[in-house]
Amino acid sequence: MFSKNKKIDRLLTLYIPLGLMLSFTLFPIYWTINTALKPEGDILKRPLQYLPSNPTVENFVYAWSNIGFATFFKNSLIVGICTVIIVLICSTLSGYALSRYNFVGKKGFMLMLLCTQFIPRAMMIIPLFIIFKNLGLISHPLSLIITYTAVEIPFTTILMAGFISNVPKELEEAAMIDGCSKLQALRHVVFPLLMPGIVATGVFTFIYTWNEFLLALMLTNQQSRFTLPVGLSSMMGEFNVNYGALAAGSVIALIPAVILFAYAQKHLVNGIGGAVKG
Amino acid sequence: MFMKRGKYKSSILAFSIVSGLLLAGCNGDDEKPSASTDSNSNSDEPVTITFWDENASPERTPLWEEIIKQFEDANPNIDVEYVVIPNKSAKSKYDAAIAANDTPDVGSVQTTWLPEFSIREALMPLDEYFDGSELKDKINASAIEFNKKITQDGKLYGIPYAQNLDTIWIRTDWFEEAGVKEPETFDEFFTAIEKMTDKDNGRYGYTIRGGAGGSFQLQRLMFAYSGLDYFGEDGKVNINDPKHVEFVEKYLSYYEEFTPKSDITNGYKEMIAGFDTGVVAMVHHNVGSYGEHKKSLEEGTFKTIPLPKTEDGKYVAEGGNAVNIAVFNSTEHPDAAWKFAEFVNSAEAQSLWNESTGQIPTNTDVLDDEWVQNAQHIKVAFEVYENPETKLYEPPFYLPDYRSILDNLVDPGIQQVMSGQKSAKDFLDEWATAIEESKEKYDQTFNK
Repeated sequence: MFSKNKKIDRLLTLYIPLGLMLSFTLFPIYWTINTALKPEGDILKRPLQYLPSNPTVENFVYAWSNIGFATFFKNSLIVGICTVIIVLICSTLSGYALSRYNFVGKKGFMLMLLCTQFIPRAMMIIPLFIIFKNLGLISHPLSLIITYTAVEIPFTTILMAGFISNVPKELEEAAMIDGCSKLQALRHVVFPLLMPGIVATGVFTFIYTWNEFLLALMLTNQQSRFTLPVGLSSMMGEFNVNYGALAAGSVIALIPAVILFAYAQKHLVNGIGGAVKG
Repeated sequence: MFMKRGKYKSSILAFSIVSGLLLAGCNGDDEKPSASTDSNSNSDEPVTITFWDENASPERTPLWEEIIKQFEDANPNIDVEYVVIPNKSAKSKYDAAIAANDTPDVGSVQTTWLPEFSIREALMPLDEYFDGSELKDKINASAIEFNKKITQDGKLYGIPYAQNLDTIWIRTDWFEEAGVKEPETFDEFFTAIEKMTDKDNGRYGYTIRGGAGGSFQLQRLMFAYSGLDYFGEDGKVNINDPKHVEFVEKYLSYYEEFTPKSDITNGYKEMIAGFDTGVVAMVHHNVGSYGEHKKSLEEGTFKTIPLPKTEDGKYVAEGGNAVNIAVFNSTEHPDAAWKFAEFVNSAEAQSLWNESTGQIPTNTDVLDDEWVQNAQHIKVAFEVYENPETKLYEPPFYLPDYRSILDNLVDPGIQQVMSGQKSAKDFLDEWATAIEESKEKYDQTFNK
């Protein structure tokens, strides 16, 4: 009797809500993949096909080679990876300083970091454009890397400071008593414990750069330098939309994010929970 | 201690080397983004000009590439660098480029942008080039006149290479099946919407564009209904004329009753998809969407008809419904840029472009082409444009905030009327006030 009740409880509190939520989040992805696998004529045909009757990969081939998704993909990867590396280095070090040291104006500094997040991105477009034009960096990946880094560092620094505060200072001190330098203690003791936080921050930054559209469009004047979101949106014309290629492009753009999450999932949960035990 | 410090230094060194290498890795070919900087004194010197396409899509890009290839073959010393700009963000991209003075040499620009861009001195006047070109007698004179009229100094800043006309696409097979007459007047139009609605079978008579771009659709229908000018003789805007109030009340009251519920957020894509997937019998768009319909509907099951006539039997069309080639002031190769603009407007290029995009050529030489004769939608457009009775009204494109009034006030206003939060009269009054205020500011600035 008891176990039956428990089963019903589990069904009501776990499986049904979970199933509903899953179908809610997975349906758009299923529909995108479904559309990407249909030949063009079938996409808008009625009755709707819930599974492609003539599955084809032509949309993927078209998006990858004809539209230039191979290039967009490469550009997005370069910008994403470079940004993540710089952001991680800067935010780990500054986060460490913020959580471990007390200095004059620390609160004011934290407040300033937060304030930078209130500036709408659209406001920065023209000033940024002029700055990068004067630097000769328009259409150069560096312009995006610099901008994304600057936009991300304040938030990731605060995030990192939180993670580092969770690592007990005593561990470091113990390591230093055993003969480590400050940096060695950081590297051998704090760093491994901080891994979940670093992964979370890295994934967060990467997803931002991967999806960012506005700045990428504005700071790039050459097609060969477009990133994925810009490439995707250039497939939606005023008068015609190639749904198949658009869906295929979206699936291609999804892949790295999915792989990244699959790999980082464990760390992510730890990281966000901040569950670093001393 | 010393050792440790050495390690510390080497770590920093390693960091900088790694990040340096990574940055260098991003540092591919380093060519300048826009026009090459060499001077243009010698016309034989190879030059590169940039061209921005303001309405990129997988169907249009190959056409531009073909035209550019033909141009480069004919002018081996000029290289054209083609850049696609997604339609939705095209205006802001141009805005940023103009603000930073980093514009392309040549660009495709919509007529509505010409007044603002010329006030901002971003565009080069083309009058001299045009007058000296063989295009002078070939490009549709009224379109050229229109472009001059809307700029504050009366100069020609863009050559229209494709025109468009708002029409109604209808499912001829459904109309035949139901025995309903194709609407020619507004009364017939409203009757057809009612009769073609069959909710049990998931069919609606019409679809209203309630989302982005809905303002354009509504404005064109309102003036087609009333046959009024945009401004009355006393200089007052006619937007909130009682005829328009009457029309908007009736038209938007059809929402949900005879049109799909999702109409309230309908943009172009959703609206056209509704027609192409067989949900609605009629959709108001323009001849440009022919290619989309052809992809999903069978030949002979759809066609286009002009917007209904006014009570006194006249067609009304909005002037300036065209895309133009414009040369930007910042170009260092004005001659090469003009050559490209001229080439895009040649009969050959216009024919290729307009046949594939389903738009109306402005070069009269193209009109004799076989495809023009065989294309029902193009013929309808000609019928309207060539009818001496057709009334062209002129919206005030020259008002710098004309477009933002439509996007930020009228689009949401339509949704409010559709959802019953606002009356048609209040909505049109607000719209009229915004246009009037903007016009007053403009007139003061230019001492009109």
